[in-house]
Amino acid sequence: MWLPIVGLIVGIAAGFLLDLRVPQEYTSYLSIALLAGLDTIFGGIRSYLEGMFNVRIFMSGFFFNTLFAAGLAFLGAFLGIDLYMAAIVAFGVRLFNNLAVIRRILLSNWLSQRD
Amino acid sequence: MKNLVRKRKITFILTLISAIIGIMLATQLQSNLTPKVTESRSITELRGTLLKELEKSKSILSDISKYDQLNYQYETALNDRESIAVMKEELQRAKKLAGLVPLEDRGIVLRIEDNDSAPTPVEYPTERGNLPPSGESSGVVLDDDLRWLVNEMLANGAKAISINGNRLISTSSIRNVGDEIQVDTKTIQPPYEIKALGEPETLISGLKLEGVENFFLQSVNKQIVMEEREHLVIPAFTGEKTIRFMTPVKAKGDS
Repeated sequence: MWLPIVGLIVGIAAGFLLDLRVPQEYTSYLSIALLAGLDTIFGGIRSYLEGMFNVRIFMSGFFFNTLFAAGLAFLGAFLGIDLYMAAIVAFGVRLFNNLAVIRRILLSNWLSQRD
Repeated sequence: MKNLVRKRKITFILTLISAIIGIMLATQLQSNLTPKVTESRSITELRGTLLKELEKSKSILSDISKYDQLNYQYETALNDRESIAVMKEELQRAKKLAGLVPLEDRGIVLRIEDNDSAPTPVEYPTERGNLPPSGESSGVVLDDDLRWLVNEMLANGAKAISINGNRLISTSSIRNVGDEIQVDTKTIQPPYEIKALGEPETLISGLKLEGVENFFLQSVNKQIVMEEREHLVIPAFTGEKTIRFMTPVKAKGDS
């Protein structure tokens, strides 16, 4: 279980070392993609805790969500529709939902272990 | 055994994905934190400088149009150079006539000097009976005498006259103020020296015909010395000259 955390730290370090920079106009798309990725991660953790974890669903969800979120926001900017906001709201709500579910599961697991 | 392999695979995938998320996070942080401040500031700065430059270019454009106009004026003036030369000539002529420029030409110098020979009794000539018959007149040259001389010179074709270096112009006056004579507002002291431009012979013979020498000798006991000069310089009028009470009358058809 500690390997993914190590991977996260290594990724952050690599990102800082690579010194990648996105132009000002495109930071919003990257943030959307990041939000989608985080949402997928939390969804994965939740499904793992619920015992319904599927690697294929998880992987496809991660890549599809990030790419489509960014792509749709990009398209929306061209069409004059603020899909960016819609994606932010949708992923944000799902993220917090997942967090709440994870917390509840962890809490019930901990309580049942204590009893 | 199979379960272990699968679990490892899942862990590997999770690690990979969290690494990707980490890279994205770092990129987002970096592009959000450092450049955002400087770039947003530079945009406002750019707007300000753009506005300034626009203003500058506007003023430069107006300058260009101004100088174009000036250039056009100069070019037309170049075409009218002849008329400007005529105007300059005219101005020079007007200045000469008004006595504002020094002049040089042939002329005479007339000096009124004390007579060293024996004084002769004072005797007014009949034609100059308007002189004040006071004893003071003997030995003292009066404004009347100078006016007479100047008038005779002008009548005999003098073009420009100066008394002791004071140029006479059309509005000049010669008068007694106390014991002294003033030309315009400048006091002159004897010995008096009158310079006049003109044909020397005409001037001298005209003065002699009037009996100037005789008169001065008899009435004020002074000697008149007249000299011909080939190059006589008459200075310019140096007093103040303001145009007042002088408005040209505009005739009809005059532009």
